[in-house]
Amino acid sequence: MSQENRTGRPRGRPPEGGASRLSRTEAGLRGPFLCFFTFAVLWLVVASLLALIAAVKLHRPDFLGACALTTYGRVAAAAQDTFVYGWGFNALFAVNFWLMAQLGRFEFRNGWLATLGGLAWNLALTYGVVQVFRGELGGFALLDLPREVGPVLILAFLFAGLWSVVTYARRPSGHNFASQWYVIGATFAFPIVFLLGQLMVQWFPSVGTVPALAHAWFVQNLMLLWFGASTLASAYYFIPKILGRPLRHYYLAPVGFWTFFLFAGWTAPAALLGGPIPIWLQSVGVVASVMSIVPVIIVGINFYSTLSVDGGWSRAWNSTTLRFVTVGVVCFSLFGGLSTVFSARDFSAVLAFTSFAQGQQQLLTYGALTMTLFGASYFVLPRLTGSLWPSAKLVHLHFWAASLGLLVAVVASLAGGWQVGHLLADPAVSTAQAGDATAVWTLAGSIAAMLFLVAHVAFALNAFGMILASTSPTSEGRPD
Amino acid sequence: MNDRNRHPDRNRPSQGNPGPGPDGLSDGRLVEVHSQLARDKEEPREGFSLTPIVIVFIFCGFGFWGGLYLTRNSGNFASTAFDVNAPKAAASAGPIEFEPDAAKGEKLFVAQCAACHQPTGLGVPGAFPPLAGSPWVAGNEERLIKAVLAGLAGEIEVKGVKYNANMPNIGAGLKDAQVAHIATYVRQAWGNTAGPVMDSQVAVVRKAIGARGQYVPADLLKEHPLETK
Repeated sequence: MSQENRTGRPRGRPPEGGASRLSRTEAGLRGPFLCFFTFAVLWLVVASLLALIAAVKLHRPDFLGACALTTYGRVAAAAQDTFVYGWGFNALFAVNFWLMAQLGRFEFRNGWLATLGGLAWNLALTYGVVQVFRGELGGFALLDLPREVGPVLILAFLFAGLWSVVTYARRPSGHNFASQWYVIGATFAFPIVFLLGQLMVQWFPSVGTVPALAHAWFVQNLMLLWFGASTLASAYYFIPKILGRPLRHYYLAPVGFWTFFLFAGWTAPAALLGGPIPIWLQSVGVVASVMSIVPVIIVGINFYSTLSVDGGWSRAWNSTTLRFVTVGVVCFSLFGGLSTVFSARDFSAVLAFTSFAQGQQQLLTYGALTMTLFGASYFVLPRLTGSLWPSAKLVHLHFWAASLGLLVAVVASLAGGWQVGHLLADPAVSTAQAGDATAVWTLAGSIAAMLFLVAHVAFALNAFGMILASTSPTSEGRPD
Repeated sequence: MNDRNRHPDRNRPSQGNPGPGPDGLSDGRLVEVHSQLARDKEEPREGFSLTPIVIVFIFCGFGFWGGLYLTRNSGNFASTAFDVNAPKAAASAGPIEFEPDAAKGEKLFVAQCAACHQPTGLGVPGAFPPLAGSPWVAGNEERLIKAVLAGLAGEIEVKGVKYNANMPNIGAGLKDAQVAHIATYVRQAWGNTAGPVMDSQVAVVRKAIGARGQYVPADLLKEHPLETK
């Protein structure tokens, strides 16, 4: 990475190595990783295109409005599904995989099983998205794919995701590391959450408010236990790895891990404050949201104290990977702080039904997760393909467009939600006036979506140029 | 992963940090170092901060707050409690659901009124008029409320007997609900059969009369003449 320090150009592995320098661990990983990663980047571009259309339609409803296929409901749902299930999951399969194999010194023998799971996952998702465009979508966000898609996704997850568990169980060294805990936790939590969410919302919906509660629980756990935990896994790996020194106050990390998994699963009812669910559930949600600040503080202590010594911040800034990861870590802390503060009932009364919650979620799914995954890609891809990133300009374009887009999107959602929420709560202001106030914020949302699209196309061009330029791996392996 | 360590001359930082190179720990080393760290705390050294102690206190504070919050806002974990205010209202029978209670009224009466009007409600002949069977306390509630809130001063005729009244404004120092309890008791004890008085009625009258001196009984009668039976 010091190569980058000098030239600002992210080279990853020096060129003299080439593909023949793949370690045996990496050689086994290469096929599944590139398969997942290719799907992930394709879905990312599709998702950002759809998100741009949906964002423009918020302030120009007649844009592409003549045809049922491109109505807001379908486009927005498809954009979210492709972003979460297409980009988020495929990229996490790849990166979590890589983390577990590297940390556990595991050599893949039957990587094709994971690839098979990945193919099934993406075929099922494609079918689901096509159905969404045909209008066959449910009413619950992220559980709106047709219900027959769900079982396939779960099976595919078992094939693709549970390799992480195999990797962990079979690791030759008895040690373990924080990244491994978080990946294992996430990998166990997600199938259970997904299964219960589907059963209670899509297959056997109960009466009354139970499906809404089950849905909130599903979304919150998907966000925190799968996306949040995976983000932390990558951050725990890349920060000490690239800085070249162990994490400070590392003995606190187990406390952070257990409190994270203890409290995160209870936070869901806080999203339904004031709704028709028993008051004790709402209060439990509030308390869990506030208590979630404990793991957020602990990982903050781990990361920031490690970054703060020995010029860590400037080295993080000069390493492409760590620059992305650091943005991700800061966004995770911001997300945790916001969740704690804005779980209070007084805030919820004003901010419910505005874009505020969307801004918080974006801070996690994009700010924390996606930025961290970008950083991971800049680290892993050169090592697995044995080639360089084709264009340093595109890397810079990627970083700045993504960061600026993130800033605009999150500020627009949070500030817009704050303003509109207060207008809605004011009896002197009519609903129409409050609606007019959203205009400037939705315009900002479109600008952010445009920036995201630019960033992601730049990233995709660079990544595919790199994958296509890579030589085929040799099987002899490089002793590690 | 170790390829970078093969070029130490190029990558060595100026600080000369021993141990792993500046460009990254190898994965095996990363895991080992941290397993060691997870077992042992970092050695205290100069400039060692007391962060862990502080955060232990902070976390205990959060836990304490969480328990308190849950206890106060859980509606006794009833599946039928949906509103954060409902459990409090049910517990204290406070301002939301007022029920005039003659038993509470009796206690207040004994403390505040019985010195003159006597626990029997018969008063003291020649000095304090009776309440039992008095038309002043039956009928229109406002007459009674006004008398209790503002007091009376002047000649008053009760059941054919004239008294020279000097009743202080006892009700001014009591809450609406307490005045309502007393009035309800007075209207229903000793054979009286008038209806109860609500705290909302007291609140309305208290606001209407404002801060004023004692009523002259004749003026009070002009506002609320005695009902003929």
